[in-house]
Amino acid sequence: MKAAIPVWIAFVPSSVAWGIAAQAHGLTLDEIILMSAWVYSGPAQFAVLLPLAEGKSAATVLIAGVLMNLRFLPMSTALAPYFRGVKRLPLVTASHVVSASSFIVPYLQYQKEREASNGRSVADGYGNLGFFVGVGATSFLVWVAGTAAGFAIALGFPPGFEEALKFILPGYFAGLLVAEMKGWTMPLICLASIVTAIPGAMLNPGWGWLATAALIAILGWSFERWRSHA
Amino acid sequence: MAFSRIELIFILGLSALALRALPQLFLVGKNFPESWDRFLRYLSYALLCGLISVTLFMSGARFEARAAPYRGIALAVTIAIAYKTKSAVTGMLVGTVLVLVFSWLR
Repeated sequence: MKAAIPVWIAFVPSSVAWGIAAQAHGLTLDEIILMSAWVYSGPAQFAVLLPLAEGKSAATVLIAGVLMNLRFLPMSTALAPYFRGVKRLPLVTASHVVSASSFIVPYLQYQKEREASNGRSVADGYGNLGFFVGVGATSFLVWVAGTAAGFAIALGFPPGFEEALKFILPGYFAGLLVAEMKGWTMPLICLASIVTAIPGAMLNPGWGWLATAALIAILGWSFERWRSHA
Repeated sequence: MAFSRIELIFILGLSALALRALPQLFLVGKNFPESWDRFLRYLSYALLCGLISVTLFMSGARFEARAAPYRGIALAVTIAIAYKTKSAVTGMLVGTVLVLVFSWLR
């Protein structure tokens, strides 16, 4: 449980920020709690907030959310070998609490254990799953409670704060991205995406920014591959 | 076919669960290619940045020319503070206060 404390601390500001932003965009408390508990993905929840609030097409909302959630594939794949021997139902149930933060803590712990055993795989699938659920499920509860708290906090703001409330979530994600950035490829991708999203959204408010972001990611990734092969 | 917001959230949650659970069920013992892992990371970063831009500077298909310089300054300050302090929360708080001050001044 002690290993989960940094994740809880990281989840408090982001969940509260999302709750505040969701309330400012007109989502109800039921919708906010359902989304936090059932989708349970900060970036995807951020990605669908605007199209959902503006009543954009279902396809726009779903594609924005799914593209953002694709990063769960490598995370879940990386965890899978450590849960060997666990039955399918507990695996599927536990996989719901895979998130970027709750993935990295158990994953590093499993790798440490494997190194300590001289590279032999740790075979205790249920033990590993227990550790993962301990981190993941408690972080999940902090996330859901935090978004509800954010909703309540936003209700307490007097009129005139709308502009600031709407800045909280993009501001928080911008800060997160910058704090995590390494090398040159990521900052260039981010800068290009910020700039090209505007003409993209002018051409098509629903799909434009999604298309330009995907194009920039493909270009950045291709350029990096080309450079590494050159 | 029109969906309500609750239905959309439900479908979105199902898709998230599928993306989380499928590797657990079918990819045990397999490696996810490192270059694809990097591509998905770039994709989520690019999407987040595009979204930040659209949220701050656009209203539908209209560029918010009047508010954009103020929000742009607040975003730049947020980024600079978060980079300097390595704290997203500090950056966000300073940026939010700045946006609030700008909105009162305008």
